[in-house]
Amino acid sequence: MGLRDDVAKVLIPEDVLQARVAELGRAINATYTDDDRPLLVCVLKGAFMFLADLTRHLEMRHEVDFMEISSYGAATRSSGVVRILLDLEQNVEGRHVLIVEDIIDSGRTLDYITRNLQTRGPVSLRVCTLLSKPSRREIDVPLDFVGFEVPDEFVVGYGLDFVEEYRNLPFIGVLKEKVYESMTNDQ
Amino acid sequence: MTNCKWQMADEVVVEERMTNDMQVPEAIEQVLLDEEVIAARVRELAAQISADYAGAEDLVLIGVLKGAFIFLADLARRLTVPHRVDFIALSSYNRDAVSTGAVRLIMDTRASITGRHVLIIEDIVDTGYTLDYLLRTLRARQLASLRACVLLSKPERRRVEVLIDYLGFEIPDVWVVGYGLDYADRFRTLPYIGMLKRETYE
Repeated sequence: MGLRDDVAKVLIPEDVLQARVAELGRAINATYTDDDRPLLVCVLKGAFMFLADLTRHLEMRHEVDFMEISSYGAATRSSGVVRILLDLEQNVEGRHVLIVEDIIDSGRTLDYITRNLQTRGPVSLRVCTLLSKPSRREIDVPLDFVGFEVPDEFVVGYGLDFVEEYRNLPFIGVLKEKVYESMTNDQ
Repeated sequence: MTNCKWQMADEVVVEERMTNDMQVPEAIEQVLLDEEVIAARVRELAAQISADYAGAEDLVLIGVLKGAFIFLADLARRLTVPHRVDFIALSSYNRDAVSTGAVRLIMDTRASITGRHVLIIEDIVDTGYTLDYLLRTLRARQLASLRACVLLSKPERRRVEVLIDYLGFEIPDVWVVGYGLDYADRFRTLPYIGMLKRETYE
């Protein structure tokens, strides 16, 4: 009995995941030049593992910065408004910004972050997400680089957690229903 | 959630990331530690940590931003003990504070760490002031235990004695970049540790 036993199935095995991350890296390499010096904005905590692998494939000059956010709760869910616990160290005015996310679900949080960063005057703003759950989308958010579209299942691993567990699984797995059925699914 | 150990299956082998055809930037004098050397050492550290914390409940790894994020991402995947991940962000006050190592905690851990086994994950220890300050700050939170795991150490630069429980590599007093370490935010995500040319930073 262990964390792996809580996984019903492996949705994306590690080799497939790593190959796709490398492809995304190549797509990003083809998009920016050294002069663009894009700023990669990582939304913690979920995206840190993806960021660590993705950025090692990048060939153009770039920088990374972090943002940590926290939900205000159910009352503000529909607006997507989140509390910024850690804001960017860098000023994004005049910069090419690439938001790096682990998963896009309803799209509301991303929509808010995008609007928030747009007010700061970046030259361009793109989004790279490892996973997307289109069936859950409530608001249309343009995604420029998508690793995998996944069905509406409870996915964990590679940075994605369930109550802080399973983040370090090196693959994307689907959590067994009995593990989360007693808890609120707020993924 | 059980806290039983879980085993990373043998068939799930991390594909070694090759430096492949990526060019070493002009500003890099030489590659000090290549990807394979780092990956092998990270595996060793993870095995040692997994053995030491076997059966320990409530292990939390605290990554110090920004530098430690790559090391943390690779190390966590190699651990076979259950653990949580958290981050803190620090900023130094100014040069005057350098002798005490006092740093400003810009972002504290998301969850309380009281009563937990805490392992700080740092990219590099230089003078030791920052890690010393961090250890003293966190120790006040009544933890089950507190240790530090550091990828690189420059012993020649040490000004204050600080205990590093898990150390990746001792390196000479040269400016290193890559694998999380930067020079003015550049070169941070190189997949290896490179030595910066002296003329670049002087």
